[in-house]
Amino acid sequence: MSNILEIKDLFVEVDGKVILRNINLEIPKGEVHLLIGPNGSGKTSLLMTIMGYPQYKVTKGSILFDGKNLLKLNITERAALGIGIAEQRPPTISGVKLKMLLSYLLDKNPKWKEEIDKEIENSKMKSFLNRDINGGLSGGEIKKSELLLLLSRQPIFTMLDEPDSGVDIDSLELLRSMINKLFSPEEEHPVKRRSGLIITHSEGIIESIHADKTHIIINGEIVCDGNPQLVMKQVVTSGFESCIKCNNLQGSV
Amino acid sequence: MNTSQNDKIENLQAEDKTALSEVAVFVENDQRSGTFVLKNSSTICGHSQQEGIELLPIAAALKKYNWLEEKYFWKQISKDKSEITRACASSKTPLGYFIMVKKGHKVTLPTQAALYMAKADEKQIIHNIVILEEDSELELITGCVTKQGIDKGEHIAVSETFIGKNAKFTNTMVHSWGSEVEVKPHSVTVVEEGGSFVSNYVSLRPAGKIVSNPVTHLNGAGASAKYFSIILGSGSSEIDLGGDVYLNAKGTSAEIAHRAVCTGGKIIQRGMLIGKEECHAHVDCSGMLIDPGEEGFIESIPGVKAYHEDARMSHEASIGKIAPSEVQYLMTHGMKEKEAISMIIRGFLDSDIKGLGPELDKRIAEIAELAGHGSE
Ligand SMILES: Nc1ncnc2c1ncn2[C@@H]1O[C@H](COP(=O)(O)OP(=O)(O)O)[C@@H](O)[C@H]1O
Ligand SMILES: [Mg+2]
Repeated sequence: MSNILEIKDLFVEVDGKVILRNINLEIPKGEVHLLIGPNGSGKTSLLMTIMGYPQYKVTKGSILFDGKNLLKLNITERAALGIGIAEQRPPTISGVKLKMLLSYLLDKNPKWKEEIDKEIENSKMKSFLNRDINGGLSGGEIKKSELLLLLSRQPIFTMLDEPDSGVDIDSLELLRSMINKLFSPEEEHPVKRRSGLIITHSEGIIESIHADKTHIIINGEIVCDGNPQLVMKQVVTSGFESCIKCNNLQGSV
Repeated sequence: MNTSQNDKIENLQAEDKTALSEVAVFVENDQRSGTFVLKNSSTICGHSQQEGIELLPIAAALKKYNWLEEKYFWKQISKDKSEITRACASSKTPLGYFIMVKKGHKVTLPTQAALYMAKADEKQIIHNIVILEEDSELELITGCVTKQGIDKGEHIAVSETFIGKNAKFTNTMVHSWGSEVEVKPHSVTVVEEGGSFVSNYVSLRPAGKIVSNPVTHLNGAGASAKYFSIILGSGSSEIDLGGDVYLNAKGTSAEIAHRAVCTGGKIIQRGMLIGKEECHAHVDCSGMLIDPGEEGFIESIPGVKAYHEDARMSHEASIGKIAPSEVQYLMTHGMKEKEAISMIIRGFLDSDIKGLGPELDKRIAEIAELAGHGSE
């Protein structure tokens, strides 16, 4: 099995409304792909569907992860397979401290403890540990805290929802180095990079993180894919308008 | 009193020790400044082992000190107040503990007292007195427990506590009861100038019925009281947990924080602040419902009553359920649904209640665990 993720003919509804249509997406093992598209096009919904949030009802199609049918599994079971997500807007949980979740994760993965301690030091997150998860944090701080949690678990496939939106320039570099750690090679396979899918709006990401392919989603459909640098250049100069036109011109994609 | 003759602690069975440890009383622990154990109606032990603290069975203390009856015994609560006090006053040899900390002594290790019911249909009637002299400090852990498998019984307790000038008293009560036991404590605490009283109450296994409304009188300037309670209601338990604090002197302060998790049964949380002088105080009753069934409920009744224009007092009450989105979020980090629910309950119980010791942290984790599993 050479694909870590394989989505076929996927249709998804929320509250009876179709939000994803006929999605086909393959991510080979070791590759990191980008997902871009206008606001409201369904990017977040696709990630939440892959993660297994039950509100996102799959009405048709399939999702295979490393050859296994994901649709039969709940969120926990998907996480156990090695899927991770840093959400765009994670909830705050009153009274549940970052420390509590972190020590839960590190109890399960004690080998990362040292690295995480260093990371906390580097990213100046000590003062967040005793706060409610995501509580009273700025956009950039939430991203840091989510990445820290992912690093404590080291998923083999990580989905990031706009990891660099709302982040100030000073923090960007730090966040990008944390992201690169998430996609560093697997411990047992020093030549195999871990895979992922990143939603982004910015060019910045592809300058610091190697991405293998970019998919464009518009109105719940993946309409195009291509080389990340070329796609980004096109979108930056002509916006998604050109994609829409291009698709109309080509008829069906 | 020659305590060594009365010490029959070594006669406690392994199962008794397990029961006591459930409520944080460890009979073989040398990290305690004193130990009192009442099993059914017999005093198993009552002694202290640190300088400055005296611990005796109440009957022995009444014999030893004439002033105890004159100045303290039945002085805060009238014998005629209720059926409970009448029952308690009519017992010939009172059962319970007497603890006194001498002036200026800060007892470093906690003292522990266990009120233990190991027989079915037992009726335990207790009268406790605690006196902290000026500038003294004490932490008391009171564990009330019925042996596993003992469902029925009655536990009646009158407690009178006197906290002297600038003295600090922390009482952590841990309860774990059989499902049909009735528990009716009557507690009154008086705090003098600059003194502080912290009362932590944790109920792991709820009794069939608990009615408790501890009353504190802050009589000296700057005196303070804090009540924290954490209770788990389940099955058909009925819990009515209150707390009245009278702020009678200038600069007094009080805080009442009740936290309840209801997986069944009825829970009433009350808290009443009565401000008679310049003071500040807050009462907060929060509840969380987890599959409480048809009949289960939480009712929160925080109240404030001011007699003085500079009494600043406030109250809040909130009841909620566990948000599925929070559970799902934790599941994305690899937690099982139940683990996620437990962590959220833990967070709820912990939130805003700071400085609980490691012992209480453990109890909170247990309640979270129990409640999380109750949601099946
Ligand atoms: N939980 C939800 N409930 C209702 N509508 C939703 C929900 N999630 C997404 N949608 C709708 O689905 C569409 C796609 O949203 P989303 O996936 O968040 O887009 P993007 O991340 O690309 O901005 C939007 O129209 C949005 O309103
Ligand atoms: Mg989005």
